Amino acid sequence: MQHLIKFIFSSTAFAIGFLWPLVAQTLVATNTMPAEPQVWVVAALIVAPFAASAQLRGSWIWVR
Amino acid sequence: MGQVVDQTVTSENWNELTDDQLDVLERKIAGKYLRIVPWGAVVWGFGNTLVWLSLWPLVLLDIMPLWLGFIIATLNCSAAYLPSHEAQHSIIAGKGKPLRWLNELLGHVSLIPFAAPFRFMRATHMEHHKHTNDPDLDVDYGVTARNGWHFLYKSILRRQPGSKGKEAYSAALARTGQNYIMLDALIINIVYISVLFGMAWTGHAIEAALLWWLPKNISLVYIEHYLSWMPHHPGKETSRYGDTRAFKSKLGNIVSMGMQYHIIHHLYPRIPLSLTPAAYRELKPILQRKGCDLGEL
Repeated sequence: MQHLIKFIFSSTAFAIGFLWPLVAQTLVATNTMPAEPQVWVVAALIVAPFAASAQLRGSWIWVR
Repeated sequence: MGQVVDQTVTSENWNELTDDQLDVLERKIAGKYLRIVPWGAVVWGFGNTLVWLSLWPLVLLDIMPLWLGFIIATLNCSAAYLPSHEAQHSIIAGKGKPLRWLNELLGHVSLIPFAAPFRFMRATHMEHHKHTNDPDLDVDYGVTARNGWHFLYKSILRRQPGSKGKEAYSAALARTGQNYIMLDALIINIVYISVLFGMAWTGHAIEAALLWWLPKNISLVYIEHYLSWMPHHPGKETSRYGDTRAFKSKLGNIVSMGMQYHIIHHLYPRIPLSLTPAAYRELKPILQRKGCDLGEL
């Protein structure tokens, strides 16, 4: 249970659960990319470095 | 003494009073503003949450444009804390009073846009009052900064996942034997995260971001700036008359959320927010005599 709660509040879960779809939908809404499966790949590539920094370094913006 | 405290304090005579006489007079003046139910704050708290809740169907059904929803949601989140703050101090009704239920309901409901747990906020806020500006015990001490830009920089750093900034709050609960309140925070945060994730994966990530996530984070910085940093800057004094200051805000009293008069709140926490300006004006000569930092106010 404790592990599950830790995961829910982790940076990785936030990136997957919220930031990834947010970036993908923003790319489509701003007509930056068409609503095709590739947008999810691009969104993942945008979010992944921030998520990795948050999870490994404890900061979304590297500085801490 | 009775004659002295019945006098109107003027610049001509307040210098003649002894410290004890000043204390009596201070309490007498403050007493006039206590035990008054701030009905405006009650309406504000419930109304603000209702408006924020109404934004969701209005935006999702395309009745209201998202940009307008974002602006209103940011105002709602920024206005969500203060009615709860009145309830945290039991200003609407103390324990055992007939309206106690309303006090507690207001505390919980007004914090919904802010996604914050009332009992958690109250317990930790009381520790802030007890230990204002104490680096080890004041839960809000982390906001201390050299200037506004330094405050903003520290505020951004405090929101990073690896920040130790929030540990002061859980430590305060542990210290006061109120660890059970952490459950409230856990439940509220699970609901908040679940709504964000659920909205995002059903195609409404932008709406969730602009109606809740971003407004909540913007308002958090705004509220901390005016409620925690400005009134206690530079955060070095811990005495009753020195731990909080009055200040003149360039943006006026409403935008600064009434915090120009926060010194009154720290001296008499049960004076309603709406009455702190009047109490300040009446108490000002005494505060000057006590050596308070009143800035340009």
